[in-house]
Amino acid sequence: MHAARAEIVGNVWRLVAKEGDRVDAGDLVAVLETMKMEIPVVAGAPGTVRLRVREGEIVQEGDVIAEIG
Amino acid sequence: MTTINTETATSDHRARLARRRQERFRRVEPRGRREFTARERAEMLVDAGSFVEMTPMRVDSDGKGAGVVIGWGRVEGRGVVVASHDAAVASGAIGAVMAETIQKAQRFAIDKGYPIVYINDSGGARIHDGILALHGCGEMFALNVKAQKRVPQISLILGPCAGAAAYSPALTDWTIMVREQGQMFLTGPDIVKATTGEDASAEEIGGAQMHTETSGVAHLEVTNEGEAFHATRLLLSYLPSHVGGPMPLVAPRPPDPVAAERLPYVVPDKASVVFDMREVVDGVLDAGPRLELMPAHAPSVLTLFGHLDGRPVGVLANQPASRGGVLDAKSSVKAARFIEFCGRFGLPVVTFVDVPGFLPGTVEESRGVITHGAKLLKAYVEAESPLLTVVVRKAYGGAYIAMGSRSLGADYSWAWSGAEIAVMGPGGAVALLHRRTLRDAADPEAVRDELAAEYRENVARPYVAAEAGILDDVILPEETRDRLVDAMATLGYEGGADARR
Repeated sequence: MHAARAEIVGNVWRLVAKEGDRVDAGDLVAVLETMKMEIPVVAGAPGTVRLRVREGEIVQEGDVIAEIG
Repeated sequence: MTTINTETATSDHRARLARRRQERFRRVEPRGRREFTARERAEMLVDAGSFVEMTPMRVDSDGKGAGVVIGWGRVEGRGVVVASHDAAVASGAIGAVMAETIQKAQRFAIDKGYPIVYINDSGGARIHDGILALHGCGEMFALNVKAQKRVPQISLILGPCAGAAAYSPALTDWTIMVREQGQMFLTGPDIVKATTGEDASAEEIGGAQMHTETSGVAHLEVTNEGEAFHATRLLLSYLPSHVGGPMPLVAPRPPDPVAAERLPYVVPDKASVVFDMREVVDGVLDAGPRLELMPAHAPSVLTLFGHLDGRPVGVLANQPASRGGVLDAKSSVKAARFIEFCGRFGLPVVTFVDVPGFLPGTVEESRGVITHGAKLLKAYVEAESPLLTVVVRKAYGGAYIAMGSRSLGADYSWAWSGAEIAVMGPGGAVALLHRRTLRDAADPEAVRDELAAEYRENVARPYVAAEAGILDDVILPEETRDRLVDAMATLGYEGGADARR
């Protein structure tokens, strides 16, 4: 099981992957918005996506955006 | 190199010297993950055959060696002093004699104006020497500080370095650690366990990964001793031997042709979309090796050495590909340290700016982002070297000022034609300036977009700064390299750091 985490505090602007999607390492899972910047959250390993956040939610640095396994 | 004759000779005094030398130069097989002895390390660091050992006969009261091999040699033909801890003597623990010997090397480096490389492999202060060990270590630290104003100091961590042996590197300019071999900590696992109850390994407390990613105590992680020596030689290739010394020039090379061709298209039009700033660096600087320091720590800023028209330069750049390129407490400390170093040794600084601002929030404020950001401002203002700044996309607020702005002493400052420079970005500014208009609008979204576009054109475009003389010019990406090269010529950079004083 791999966790795709927020690298910086921000809000979940867009969830690109849907619950249950198969992704490869390097695929875009979500985009955070911080200081008007679009911060990509990518999968670190291949697997099935289990989302841990909703769009619009504020996340802190290190928070899990999705579990991939 | 001094050739050591170890053959047995006929006369008594010759035989005695031969015996002494055999004892002193006997190879003690390195323990653990170590690959080479202290003397071998010193010899490998410098040009082959150039190492000259100083006071090789020096012994401690126990009849063993001083615990450190000191001497000097050449790196690419230039003098470099080396002090290499001998872990075969009392685990490299620093006693009074060892400290005194290291100080001899330090004074030699300061007097000659040669960089000094400390090869650290020491358990800390030698307990049996008590206060004499502490006093000797303290004097060594004082010379570390004195040397800062004179010569580059580089520390290699090739074994466990505890207590006093961890402080000296922290007072030097750059620290290179070998993965799973070098460690730095004030106290090892046993004392940590007794004090905090933590079951932490030496690697967890002070391993190379921890210090190059999290703490920022060390600046480069390598995988073996040979790589550590190679990285040290590469680092030295960008540096003058001493403050005011001439810069080591190399043959100029045009940038990588693919990167140069791509340069006008690297930065996305949309200010919110991230990109890799390394592509901008590659499109502007000479092709060939770069040395990026602290690549894994606070990666939202890049700090690296490279060449521009054959001259070494320090590059500080925001890295949008990591955390949007924000400045925060950690990246400010990293950036400030780099600028302070370049400024001290007269290395020109090229700053590439694309920064959304300082990261807001309680976390950053409690880390002291104000104090740490101020260090970056101070470093630029105090820098004694040419400062050249290029705003490649956006520069807002205090972060605009902090990133090598004209106000802090940039000799030249340019912006690319698509850049935005303002107190805040269009979104925030419009929300603040037109609160009432937006509240009363039938279609607030449309009005906001319209006002943001107006703000972008009338307030944030770089022509405002250029018309005020704060930017020297508004330029195209492909013009950047020529502007930088011309600017360095006007700053008399060929003459080294002295030219600007």
